[in-house]
Amino acid sequence: MLRLENVGLKYGDGPEILRDVSFAVHPGDFYFLTGPSGAGKSSLLKLLFLALRPTRGTLRIFGEDVGTLSHGNLPLIRRRIGVVFQEFRLLDHLSTYDNVALPLRVAGRSESSYRRDVMDLLDWVGLAQKSADLPPVLSGGEKQRAAIARAVIAKPQLLLADEPTGNVDPVLAKRLLHLFLELNRLGTTMLIATHDKGLVRQAERPVLHLEEGTLSLQ
Amino acid sequence: MKPGAIIPANAASLTSLTVTMAVMCYLACLAIGALILVDRAVTSWTSGLSREMTIQVRVVRDADIDKEVEKARSITAAFPGIVEADVLDESEGAKLLEPWLGTRSLTGLPVPRLIRVVSDTDHPPDALALQKALSQVKGASLDTHQKWEVELTRMARALSAVSYAILLLICVSAVAIVIFATRAVLQANRHIVDLLHLVGARDSYIARQIDGRFVRTGLLSGFIGVGLGILTFLLLGLFGGGSESGVAAASWGLLFSAPRVALWSYGMLFAVPLAATLICLITARITLIRRLGVVT
Repeated sequence: MLRLENVGLKYGDGPEILRDVSFAVHPGDFYFLTGPSGAGKSSLLKLLFLALRPTRGTLRIFGEDVGTLSHGNLPLIRRRIGVVFQEFRLLDHLSTYDNVALPLRVAGRSESSYRRDVMDLLDWVGLAQKSADLPPVLSGGEKQRAAIARAVIAKPQLLLADEPTGNVDPVLAKRLLHLFLELNRLGTTMLIATHDKGLVRQAERPVLHLEEGTLSLQ
Repeated sequence: MKPGAIIPANAASLTSLTVTMAVMCYLACLAIGALILVDRAVTSWTSGLSREMTIQVRVVRDADIDKEVEKARSITAAFPGIVEADVLDESEGAKLLEPWLGTRSLTGLPVPRLIRVVSDTDHPPDALALQKALSQVKGASLDTHQKWEVELTRMARALSAVSYAILLLICVSAVAIVIFATRAVLQANRHIVDLLHLVGARDSYIARQIDGRFVRTGLLSGFIGVGLGILTFLLLGLFGGGSESGVAAASWGLLFSAPRVALWSYGMLFAVPLAATLICLITARITLIRRLGVVT
């Protein structure tokens, strides 16, 4: 599903943020990505959700070489990936319902075809009562759950999450972990970047550790 | 539940674009109005000129001018393709010279006599043959007005070319302004565009979310421009003053002539909002697709 071979990344003429990163993720895998701040976790995730392209090495996603992928083919790959951004990236002018439905809407689905799915998911993450609210009036935890709901609404094959429990209390963090484990059990491949050692311990899943731009399996 | 607009309408105001485009459309209306007026004026002048000719009989020593004039008239009247040949009497001739000589008496001056000739437009006469036939009349010469017709046509073509050039410049400026505005809208909504890309939106989908606003702007500014243009022609028609063939009459004629002619004028003027909308839509779409391709 994901294969990185000697991947390097740098911004402009700056130093390499990632150096010779190599690893493979297979369908159904669940990995945590850990490492100190500034180690390059977010940059690695950006590579994986195709916001950046590697400056060297080979990155293959769903069998496609990202280095040679045309701009026109990016949307089809991205629709198979769900992303939970560290800063949520909810659109403040859209309701929680519209934010969660966004991936289905851009894929060309009609509102009537996804209304029930979105409401069910909002109910599952405990936001059914907030479906008409705008993100600015949601709490940090509610925003986090809305962002997760948006990432999984289109049933992606791969879910990438950047600090998904960074803004929530331990109880909600545990609940979100169960949500991720459930999604994984249902077949979604997971890669979660986190600082939360408790979360990693509870899940008992393999950890990819990134330090000074170099990746190792722990 | 109707989904909310993905790109908020108030994220980047297009008011400045609407005002600028309305001014462009107004200028385009004036240029089109000028084109129509020049075309009509030239058609009217040249049809009159090409239908008429003038025979001038100069005073020649040892010749009876009245006899020579009558001889020229009878030759001309009998010539194939001539409908009418009228001798202008001396007072009419004097009236023609009034702008240069004033109203003083012309008695004693060797003023040439004129014969107004009207030709059959369907079967025009052979001007060269007529000129040859008139060579037997002392002091006679034929003026076919061809020289003036050529000059008028040349001037009209120059004016038309200037109007077309102005229209072209307006279009180029409009395209440049729309490109600038599109980039501004894209920049103001960059975070939304990035997110849409990341959740799998195609460039064409994102472009459709934005270019609808440009279509509405083009249409609105086009109609404002045409409205102002028609108001200008109306005011010129009402208060422009001048003679029957002056600016006022021409402006009035542009709006209130025979239905077929007026329909053509209005058609040309109302092509402006259509053109403005197309310019806005096509330019915004191309700019968006090009820029969106660069964004990721």
